[in-house]
Amino acid sequence: MRIFVSLCFCLLFVSRAAWGQESAALLESQVKELRQVVMELKGVVEKQQAEIELLKRTEKVRLPEPSPRPSAPAVVSTLGRWNPDIGVLADTVLKLDSPREDAEGADRLSVREVEIVFGSPVDPYSRLDAVLDFSDFEEAALDEAYLTRFELPFDMTARVGRFRPKIGKINAYHRDSLETVDEPLVIDRYFGHEGYSRSGVDLKKLLEVPSPMTHELVFGVLEGGVGEGGTAFPGARRRPTFYSHLKNYVDFSEVTNLEVGLTHLAGSKDADRRLEVQMLGLDAVWMHHFTSRHRLKLQGEAFYMNREESVDGTLWGGYGLVDFRLHPLWAMGFRFDLVELVDNPVTNPHKADTGYTGYLTFYQTEFARWRAQFSHFDLATGKDDNQVLLQGTFAIGEHKHKLQ
Amino acid sequence: MKRGTLVFFCFLLGLNGGVVYAGEAPLKVVATTTTFADLVKKVGRERVSVAAVAPARWNVHFVEPKPSDVRNAAGADLFVHAGLDLELWVDPLLEAAGKTELFRGGPRNVDLSRGIELLKVPTMPVSRAQGDIHLYGNPHYVMNPENAGIMAKTIEGKLAEADPAHAESYARNLKEFLEELDKRVGHWKRLCGHCRDREVISYHDDVEYFVRFLGMRAEQFVEPKPGIPPTPRHLEFLQGYMKEKAVKVIVMPTYYPREAAAALAARAGGKVLTLCQNAGEIRGTEDFFSFFEYNFHQISEALK
Ligand SMILES: [Zn+2]
Repeated sequence: MRIFVSLCFCLLFVSRAAWGQESAALLESQVKELRQVVMELKGVVEKQQAEIELLKRTEKVRLPEPSPRPSAPAVVSTLGRWNPDIGVLADTVLKLDSPREDAEGADRLSVREVEIVFGSPVDPYSRLDAVLDFSDFEEAALDEAYLTRFELPFDMTARVGRFRPKIGKINAYHRDSLETVDEPLVIDRYFGHEGYSRSGVDLKKLLEVPSPMTHELVFGVLEGGVGEGGTAFPGARRRPTFYSHLKNYVDFSEVTNLEVGLTHLAGSKDADRRLEVQMLGLDAVWMHHFTSRHRLKLQGEAFYMNREESVDGTLWGGYGLVDFRLHPLWAMGFRFDLVELVDNPVTNPHKADTGYTGYLTFYQTEFARWRAQFSHFDLATGKDDNQVLLQGTFAIGEHKHKLQ
Repeated sequence: MKRGTLVFFCFLLGLNGGVVYAGEAPLKVVATTTTFADLVKKVGRERVSVAAVAPARWNVHFVEPKPSDVRNAAGADLFVHAGLDLELWVDPLLEAAGKTELFRGGPRNVDLSRGIELLKVPTMPVSRAQGDIHLYGNPHYVMNPENAGIMAKTIEGKLAEADPAHAESYARNLKEFLEELDKRVGHWKRLCGHCRDREVISYHDDVEYFVRFLGMRAEQFVEPKPGIPPTPRHLEFLQGYMKEKAVKVIVMPTYYPREAAAALAARAGGKVLTLCQNAGEIRGTEDFFSFFEYNFHQISEALK
């Protein structure tokens, strides 16, 4: 484990600038750059000469006079050079549910989350992204803050800092990218109410194998523990969690594709040195586009967990989701959840929480969205819960989603 | 068990070390649209292999790149795009591909808006209250065939830079392309001579360069603001506008929903006309010239 961590760090800091004979190499590269610039300029002059000749001959096109309008790239670069891209996302939820207890965010209208997203290149090799979460019923929290280092040896990309690991499919998404108001139960119960976000290091590599499919491998070491309310690796921050994910993707046609991913997690549930919690995950997304803005998506994820020696033994949980974009502005769908609980008291009549969720989403524009959702849960305790959720999600500023 | 995983990982890494391309292998180019892809093909010919990210029948403003696009981009020698905010998804795609030289401003990034005289560049600070997109000026400049010359020259420059050994053949292909373009432009202007000073309604503000080329106007749009779907009130306004100004034609590409425009046309006594935004959007328009040929014939016929 220690070897792996040091390996990660070595790889991270092996950059062009950090090699031994840097001064000679630097000089050489500068000369090379200069030579290239001169060649480029020469090319430009030659080309312009040729253009002028051509223009003279055709006499049809007027010589482009110095444009009074600034061309757009210039505008973009002067504005964007020093200020990071900033985006703000507001997620407001009206939640009505059946339990009478006064739980957080229940039976009320809440600004569940205001997410402030910052991101910008740090230098030619890396960029920094940070996501801060504010809520009107919870303390402010750092959801993500990580450096992405591109072009490491073997064409790897690394992340260092606090981030959402690429386990399964949905965990890496921010709430505004979810098809439903809430995370699937398996994410909520095993990894925490707001998903799994931890400090650590991970390495990503696109595998260049002769295959019509696309394969991406991610390896990471994270601090122990899970998100608030999660039960997979509770309360053992000092025992790291190792994760890996292999994504396999294939296009059947221009409009139909399939992605299948495999996840492995190894972590600890207590303070000893052993990684007694082993998890295997399978995720799959099948997508078919009828037109560019009408599509059908089938998505599922399952996690199988072995907790060794504990009363639970092996557990599993998962969900299946059907999402149908029936109109450019409307989407509807259904989600089924089932998750066997960790440390489920023997007095409970069931081993698992089960959920049935239906929703309808209206996309007012790209940046404003409304959603109505109804969920029925059959809980392991034998009780059930009905929830009506109304959600409005709004974005201002820079709003680009990372590709997952 | 952990050590086993580590060894396996190292094995994978070793397996994929540097892939060296042979000298005669064609340059790999990824373009955001099918139109750009064909333009690259025109200049690069057999020396390039080109892939487009956005399918021809899709609205290039709203494309979600797929893992296979990421893989293509990661292996590309050049990445060609429109710049501005035509393809808002370019940065996430390039970041996922992780090759910094392909990033915006990088040496292998080809921004085709260079040298194009942009229309409708905002002169005042803008916000999304004015619509979702087109914040840097109208990005649909590909619709004016005269811009193709500038774009082709940009492409030629970058191809020659990436593959100096074949610079001459790129220059020759460019010259042939420009000559052909010049001939066609004259023909299209004659074909559509009668369209001068006429006005059309457009679904999206994506024909500004096209109508200016023909001396026409498109001042009203079925979308009340770029990227914002039509509202009943706005359609009512357009109906009155079309009647008052005797505007008979609503133009739109194939990928926007047709109902609103069709209903408006029916009520205002006009018709809906398809103008492609992407090469290959309609069968037979895959080639850059046939794409314009189709559009100019459409408008010429409709306004006869
Ligand atoms: Zn547009």
